[in-house]
Amino acid sequence: MSETAQAPLRTEDITVNVGPQHPSTHGVLRFVVTLEGETIRECVPHIGYLHSSLEKIAETLRFGQYITNTDRFDYLNGLGNELCYVQAVERLLGVEPPPRTQFIRTLMAELKRISSHLVYLGTYGNDTGAVTVFLHAFRERELLMNMFEAVTGGRLLYNYLRIGGLRNDLPTGFDEQVCSFLEHFPPRLEEMNDLLTKNRIFIARTRGVGLLTAEQALSYGVTGPTLRGCGVSYDMRKLRPYAAYDQVEFDVPTFPEGDCLARHLVRMEEMRQSLRIVRQLLDKMPDGEVQADVPRRLKPEPGEVYERVESPRGELGCYLVSDGSDKPYRMHWRGPSFYNLQALPEMVRGGLVADFIATLGSLDPVAPDIDR
Amino acid sequence: MWGYVRDIWQGAKSIVVGHIVTFRNFWRPKITDRYPHGNADENWQPGPGYRGGFALLKSDKEGRELRCTACMSCARACPVGCIHIEGEGKGKERHPVSFYIDMGLCVYCHQCVEACPSEALTMTDEYEISGTSRASLVRDLAQLIAAGEGQTEVSRVL
Repeated sequence: MSETAQAPLRTEDITVNVGPQHPSTHGVLRFVVTLEGETIRECVPHIGYLHSSLEKIAETLRFGQYITNTDRFDYLNGLGNELCYVQAVERLLGVEPPPRTQFIRTLMAELKRISSHLVYLGTYGNDTGAVTVFLHAFRERELLMNMFEAVTGGRLLYNYLRIGGLRNDLPTGFDEQVCSFLEHFPPRLEEMNDLLTKNRIFIARTRGVGLLTAEQALSYGVTGPTLRGCGVSYDMRKLRPYAAYDQVEFDVPTFPEGDCLARHLVRMEEMRQSLRIVRQLLDKMPDGEVQADVPRRLKPEPGEVYERVESPRGELGCYLVSDGSDKPYRMHWRGPSFYNLQALPEMVRGGLVADFIATLGSLDPVAPDIDR
Repeated sequence: MWGYVRDIWQGAKSIVVGHIVTFRNFWRPKITDRYPHGNADENWQPGPGYRGGFALLKSDKEGRELRCTACMSCARACPVGCIHIEGEGKGKERHPVSFYIDMGLCVYCHQCVEACPSEALTMTDEYEISGTSRASLVRDLAQLIAAGEGQTEVSRVL
């Protein structure tokens, strides 16, 4: 045997930049990935490219003025973010919004959840190489966007919720619009399921990929479909019902596998549950005012409050400190994407580089929500 | 061996199912519109309550022409401070001599309209609001009055 055959092959780790400008990073996100052959040894997320100083801006704006900014960080869940912020301010002020307001807020948040999961479905299809489903998902999302436009006047940036109420009541004919969507959407959802979820290639690309155990997920503070995909039933809507979630029945879907496919299935099932919630809300919708009496100048008592809602990506928290003036003294957002991203190195370590984007996409990150 | 055959069968089935879905969509109505001109719906309108450009409304009553009293409520309510007003006169005679809205700064939040006590300022459903320079995005008093010509109702307010 010759000497060269005995000496081990010289190998070298390669460091690859994924992003910041990469079509699959869902915004401006950068990952420094260390590769050994095709295996990922280490992945370091670099964030901050979309930092927009939303927490500091809050200190310069009055409580009512800040609502417009809440749409802008997790742009797929604008109405949910508004709900979180508005509820935090209402708790500071001790204001109770009227029941109809609570129902409309819940209705809009659930429609927004469906719309957000449709974006996830489309982009995840893109990430895993199934481009067709993107067009199908965005076609259905368009119907929801038209609904949001009819109610709030905006398609992406709503500024619809107000402290103690809403900007306006639902327009006439909105019920029929939602009812026709409820009839139209479930068969289309099954169609997208046929196209993507039941596809053999998709299953092969996601099953057993990006594994995360429940212990790891909890230790990183992972929430939302990512955590429910690890078999932990943790949903703010059930644990601490806010708005009108205590008046509706729904299930919290969980899948124990902890891989990309489980997270995908959780989101697909959540869309069906959201449809169920929307149907119940429409049936039970009470009449009445949509705006509680609040003073024109909002000056809460000094104190602090932490309000949590379930965004499509996980637990969204808003921490507000008031010093008695008409502006917040300090505000902090707990963005679910930020915490979910922390678990990404655990999920991709030891996996193939080809599965990296599939794993990242299964977290459904929104880059401005990570950076805020 | 049995697993191998089942793999092939399931793979073939999922491809066929996918193709059926795609094939079905050939006969569905087209949902895209050509823009700006073409065979699209010519009477297309933005949704009710759409927040586009701005307009200053005139009073129905004789006397003071503009409803605006230059009270600065809108400028104070604006989160980004894109409204600049200079007023003249006292009491009921007060009216704006210059009224600028910088649409490049505006976040289209509608809070100025809600703050206006005399229902003088409104947002319109004008949706082609881009410009070629920053200066062209600044709306002055004459442009705002012209945009409100013939309109008497403010955009939807609670």
